[in-house]
Amino acid sequence: MHEKLEYAERGLKMKFKFFEKLKEKRQRKKSASGGIAKKRLQFAIIYDKLEVSDTMLQSLHHDILTVISKYFEIDRESLKIDIKPTEDLSSLVVNTHILRAKPASAKKKKIASQKIASKKQ
Amino acid sequence: MRWILEGKVIVITSGKGGVGKTTATASIGAALALEDNRVVVMDMDIGLRNLDVVMGLENRIVFTVVDAVNGVCDTKQAAIKDRRIKDLYLIPASQSDNKDVLEADGMIKLCDELRKQYDYIVIDCPAGIEKGFQNAVAAADEALVLCTPEVSAVRDADRIIGLLYARSITPKLILNRIVPQMVERGDMLSHDDVVEVLSIELLGLVPLDENVVVSTNTGIPAVLQKNSPAGEAFQRIAKRINGDVDLPIEVPRSGRGLWKKLARKIGIRRKGA
Repeated sequence: MHEKLEYAERGLKMKFKFFEKLKEKRQRKKSASGGIAKKRLQFAIIYDKLEVSDTMLQSLHHDILTVISKYFEIDRESLKIDIKPTEDLSSLVVNTHILRAKPASAKKKKIASQKIASKKQ
Repeated sequence: MRWILEGKVIVITSGKGGVGKTTATASIGAALALEDNRVVVMDMDIGLRNLDVVMGLENRIVFTVVDAVNGVCDTKQAAIKDRRIKDLYLIPASQSDNKDVLEADGMIKLCDELRKQYDYIVIDCPAGIEKGFQNAVAAADEALVLCTPEVSAVRDADRIIGLLYARSITPKLILNRIVPQMVERGDMLSHDDVVEVLSIELLGLVPLDENVVVSTNTGIPAVLQKNSPAGEAFQRIAKRINGDVDLPIEVPRSGRGLWKKLARKIGIRRKGA
């Protein structure tokens, strides 16, 4: 009886080991460098083709920030611009955290005060 | 029997250096000649010639491609006949000049002359995208882009493909130096990855093969070696170039594992093979 139990235990351990190895293998596949290479290449090639310069991206970043913050309160640090490959086009993806919409009244007041300012001039 | 009345000019190019253009040119040229074609391989890497040593013909150079273009000799004098393979010829590059001595017009004229004498004119293009490249592709009917599964080679290949498209040439891809074990482990770009990134038609897959080093050491083309996986891959590529378009592309697999070995012996191939 005791022997049998030991036997079963050993079997169980072996099973666990097997699953652990499988898990390890799967994890290794996930972190394998081939996939990283592919992603990096896709981005590099898109940027090569579009001939986007860093200064252009920076000014785009700045302009988008000013436009969006007209209407929303946003986390300025979180704004991210990416150019992503899709099937036959490259798409510009802008991501940002919106904290809240700016109240309409505040906007109106601002516009009104701007109008007054321009009239005075 | 001769089906082709006018020769085809095929340029083998890569952008990046050291991916195996010269070996590929020698192998594909030799394999095409073994398929009963009249073939001339031409080295356009002027100033850094190597196709002659790879083919084992370095001792017999009298005239070069520069001489042929400049009319110092005629095309028949410039072509060195290979002793091992029937109907295989080499026009070597000049070692003392640089790439500026040739112009595209001269290349086009030379290739028009060669078209009358050979079925295939296979050109070994120098690395880079400058004048050497421009001259090498000037007269090309077809282009084969050679690439290894590395980010640098793939990126350069993309650039070259763009330049070829600008010349209305639709290139095909040969992926060289594949290490099946690494691909299976996920640590190397697979051929599907490279084809997807470059969006280009695939012509052949060549595994990394020690025999290639041996073949360049001895100057005997890899396609003449027995049991050379790379040599066999180049032979299949040549068959596909030569019109056997239905020949399936064989995916290099790691030889490890009893089942895999057995499966290969019996002739069972897994999906995609």
